[in-house]
Amino acid sequence: MSGSLINHVFLQILTGLQLGAIYVLIALGLTLIFGTLGVVNFAHGALFMLGAYFAVIIAGKFGFLTAIIAVPFLLFIIGIIMERGLIRFFYNRPHTDQILVTFGLAIVVQETLKWIFGANNIPFPLPRWGGGILKLHEWLPFLEGFVAYPKWRMILIFVSLVTVAALFALLQFTRFGLIVRAGMRDSEMLRFLGINITRRFAIVFGLGAMIAGIAGAFGGPVTQVDPEVGMAFLVPSFLVVVIGGMGSLPGAVLAGFMLGMAISFSAQYSAIQQIIIYLVAVIVLLVRPRGLLGQKGVMEE
Amino acid sequence: MTKPILDVSRVSKSFGGLRALQDVNLQVMEGSIHSLIGPNGAGKSTLLNVMTGLLQPDEGTITFDGRTLQNVTPHEINQYGIAKVFQTPAIFPEMTLLENTLIPAFARRDGSFRANLFETPEHAHEVYEQAEEALAEVGLQDHMKQEARYLSRGDKRRLELAICLVQKPKLLLLDEPTAGMARHETESTIQLLKQISSKGMTKVIVEHDMSVVFSLSDRITVLAQGQIIAEGGPDEVRGNPKVIEAYLGEEQE
Amino acid sequence: MPVIVFAVIALTMPFWFPLVGGYAGLDTKILIWAIFAIGFDILLGFTGYLSFGHAAFFGVSAYVTGLMLLHYSANIIPAMIASVIVTTIIAVMVGFLTLRRSGIYFSILTLAFGEMFYAAALSIFSDWTGGDNGLTGLPTPELFSMPFKENNVFYLVAVLAIIGYYIARRIGNSPFGMMLRAVKSNQTRLEFTGLDVKKYKLSAFVISAIYASVAGSLMVIYEPYVATEFVHWSTSGKLVIMSVLGGVGTLFGPMIGAAFMLYFENVISAFLQEQWLLVLGLVFMFIVIFLPGGFVEGAQRLKRAIAGKAGDGNASKGASE
Repeated sequence: MSGSLINHVFLQILTGLQLGAIYVLIALGLTLIFGTLGVVNFAHGALFMLGAYFAVIIAGKFGFLTAIIAVPFLLFIIGIIMERGLIRFFYNRPHTDQILVTFGLAIVVQETLKWIFGANNIPFPLPRWGGGILKLHEWLPFLEGFVAYPKWRMILIFVSLVTVAALFALLQFTRFGLIVRAGMRDSEMLRFLGINITRRFAIVFGLGAMIAGIAGAFGGPVTQVDPEVGMAFLVPSFLVVVIGGMGSLPGAVLAGFMLGMAISFSAQYSAIQQIIIYLVAVIVLLVRPRGLLGQKGVMEE
Repeated sequence: MTKPILDVSRVSKSFGGLRALQDVNLQVMEGSIHSLIGPNGAGKSTLLNVMTGLLQPDEGTITFDGRTLQNVTPHEINQYGIAKVFQTPAIFPEMTLLENTLIPAFARRDGSFRANLFETPEHAHEVYEQAEEALAEVGLQDHMKQEARYLSRGDKRRLELAICLVQKPKLLLLDEPTAGMARHETESTIQLLKQISSKGMTKVIVEHDMSVVFSLSDRITVLAQGQIIAEGGPDEVRGNPKVIEAYLGEEQE
Repeated sequence: MPVIVFAVIALTMPFWFPLVGGYAGLDTKILIWAIFAIGFDILLGFTGYLSFGHAAFFGVSAYVTGLMLLHYSANIIPAMIASVIVTTIIAVMVGFLTLRRSGIYFSILTLAFGEMFYAAALSIFSDWTGGDNGLTGLPTPELFSMPFKENNVFYLVAVLAIIGYYIARRIGNSPFGMMLRAVKSNQTRLEFTGLDVKKYKLSAFVISAIYASVAGSLMVIYEPYVATEFVHWSTSGKLVIMSVLGGVGTLFGPMIGAAFMLYFENVISAFLQEQWLLVLGLVFMFIVIFLPGGFVEGAQRLKRAIAGKAGDGNASKGASE
C-alpha cells in the first residue's frame, strides 16, 4: 500500500469515528432507556440539543471548562425531572402514547429554543486549548509526510470512548449496574424478586439524558446549534439503535461507529452519502431482523 | 376413537444447555380428552408450544390429522384445525362479545386473509348465527353488545372458549384453563368443558389442578424433566409410584 | 348518514368558511389534509400502528404528479394514476421492512425511512426534484383541457374527500375493518384464531399510503409546486398531531383535527406570531396526557356532563364507561 493511501484511509477512519461518536452517545441513552424502562424517547434528540445550547451559554459566560462539568449535571437533573414529572405516568399506557407524549415534548423544546434563540445556527466557539490541529505524523510512524486532524474532533472521539467505557464500567462493576442490567433482561423478574426498580428508573433516565448532554456539549462545536439539530440527530440515532439491536448497549456502540464509517467512506460519492445510513439499515434489517447484537424476545409480540 | 389425531414422535427440544424435552412420544386419540401433567419445569408448556408451531423442535416430528407440522405459523396451525386456550384468557378486550366471536367465525369462512373491504357483517347471516351460537353455548348470550374487558376472569375464560368453539376445531389445546380462578369458577369451567366434550372434540389439557385433571381426562400423560414417565387412564396414573415420586421430589425442593 | 352530514359540510364550505376568517383556498387545503388524515386513521386508529413516515407517501406522490404534469401531460388523470401506482409499490416495500416487529419498532423505522426519502429527494434525485428549491415551473393542471384552478380544484377535492370518507367508513364496518381493530386489541389472539396478521397490517398500511398519495397528488393540483417540506418528517408529524388532536379511530375526528390544525396554522397564528407551533405543541401534549381520545372524546365527555346535570338518572351511564 502506498503511503498516501494509508494516510487517506487513516483519516477517513478518524472521520468515521468522529461522526459515529455523537450517534453512539445519543443512541446509548436511547437504548439504555428503552432497555430498562421500555420507553422509546422521541425527545432524546431534544435533550442532546438542550445540551448543546446550555454548553454555548455557559461556555460564553463562565468558560468552557465550567460548561463541560455543568452541562451533563444539568441534563441529569432534567432527565430525572422529565421521568418523575411526565414519563412515569405513561408506564402503564400504550407504547403509542409514550411515543406521542415524548414527540410532543420534542416539539415544545424545539419551538421554545426557536423562540428564545431564533431559528438560525448560533456560533459555538472552541476553547483556546481545543482549537487548531493535531499533527498526527509526529505521533504515528506509519503515516507519511504531513497528516493533521482538527484537535477538537480528536477530543470528541476521546470523550465518547471514555463515556462508553465509564458507562460499561458502571453497569458492570456496581450493584446499581447489576440491577439495571438485570432489568434490561427481564424487568418483571426483578419486580418478582422484590427489587424496587421503579425508583431506579429515574436515575437511568437521568443517566441517558446526561450522556445526551455530553454529546451536546462536545458535539455542538462540530454540528450546528440550531433548533432543528435535535431531530436531525434523532433519526440516525434511532437507526443506530435498531441496527445494533434494540436494548443492546454494545450493539449501539458497534452500529454507531459503523454508520460513522459508512458515511465517511462514501464521501467521494456525495449523493450516496446522504442515504448510505438508510441503505445499511435496510441491508441489516433484511439479513438480521433483530439487529446486529439484538436478543430474541426484545420488541417481539 | 381409536385413530390418533395428533402424533408427537421422538421430539426433543433444548434451550441453550437445558434439555426441555427429551425424546417425547405421544399420541392423542381422536375424540379423547388427554391431559398433560407434571411438576414445574417438566416441559409441559414447551410441549404445548411445539404443538402449536410457536417453537420448532430440534428433533422429531409432529403429525396432525395426517399432516406433518413443520415451519408453520400459528395462524396456519389454527386453519388446520387446532385452537388454543391460553393460561391468561386471550380475548379482544376492547371489542364487544359478539365481535369477539365474529372474528373466528369470519376466519373460518374466509381463511387466513380476505380483503373483503366492503362487506357488511350484518348481511353475513350464517357467520352471525355461528357467532351467536357460540356465545350461547358458553352462556354469554345476554351481553353480546358489551365490551369484553368488563367481564370477570371466569367469563373471559368462557368467552375465549367461545372464540375457539366457533371454529369447530378438530383439536382444542387448553393451557391451564383454571389457573387463577376461584373454586366456584373452576367448577363451572369443568362443567363447561364436560358439556362441550360431549360433542366429540379432541382436547389436550395442561393443568396443575388435579381435581380438574382426574374429573375430565380419558388419558393422562405425566412429564418430568422433559421425559414422559407415565401414561394411562386416570386410575393407572393415580397409583403409579413413579408419578408420586416425581411430585414428592418437587415438594422436597 | 354521517357521510351525508360530511358531504353537506364539505360542499358548502366556500360559502361559510370565509365567514369564520378562512381565506380562499384554505378550505381546499383543509379537505386535502382531511383525505390524508382519514387514510392515516385506517392505520393508526384501527390497527394502532403509529407511523412517522407518511410524509414519504405524500411527498413522493406529489413529486410524481409534478413530474407527470411537467414532462408528460397537464392532464391530471394520468398524473394521479401514476402517483398512486408508484406510492403503492413503495408502500409495500416500506411496509414489508417496517412491519416485521412490534409497534415501537414500526414508529422508529417509519420515521427513519421517511427521512430516507427526504434525503434521497435532496441528493440522488435532485436533478429530478429540483433539490432544495422544490419542483417549480409546473403548468396549470387540466382535465380534458379544462383548466384546474380555484373552484374546480375545490370541488374535485371535496368530492374525493367525501368518497374517501365513505370508503373508510365502509372499511371500518366490514369484517376486514374488524380484523384491523382486532390487531390493535390482541394480535396474539388474532394470530391464534387463524388470521394472517401480517397481511392485514400490510394492507392497512398500503391503504393509508394510497390515501396519502391521493392527498399529495391533489396538493400539487391545488398549487402547482412541490415543496421539499412535503417529504420532510414535519409533514408526518403534522399528520400525527392532527389525528391525535381530533380523536384517533373515529375517522371523523382526524378530519376535525385537520381543520383545526390548518385553521390554527393560518388564521389563529396571526395572533400568536412565531409561537403558534409552541402553543400547538403544548395543546398536543395536554391532549395526549389528559384526553387521549382527542376532541371527539372531549365532546362526548361534555355531552355526558351536560346530560348528567340535566337528569341524575343518566349520570350512571357515564360512570360505567
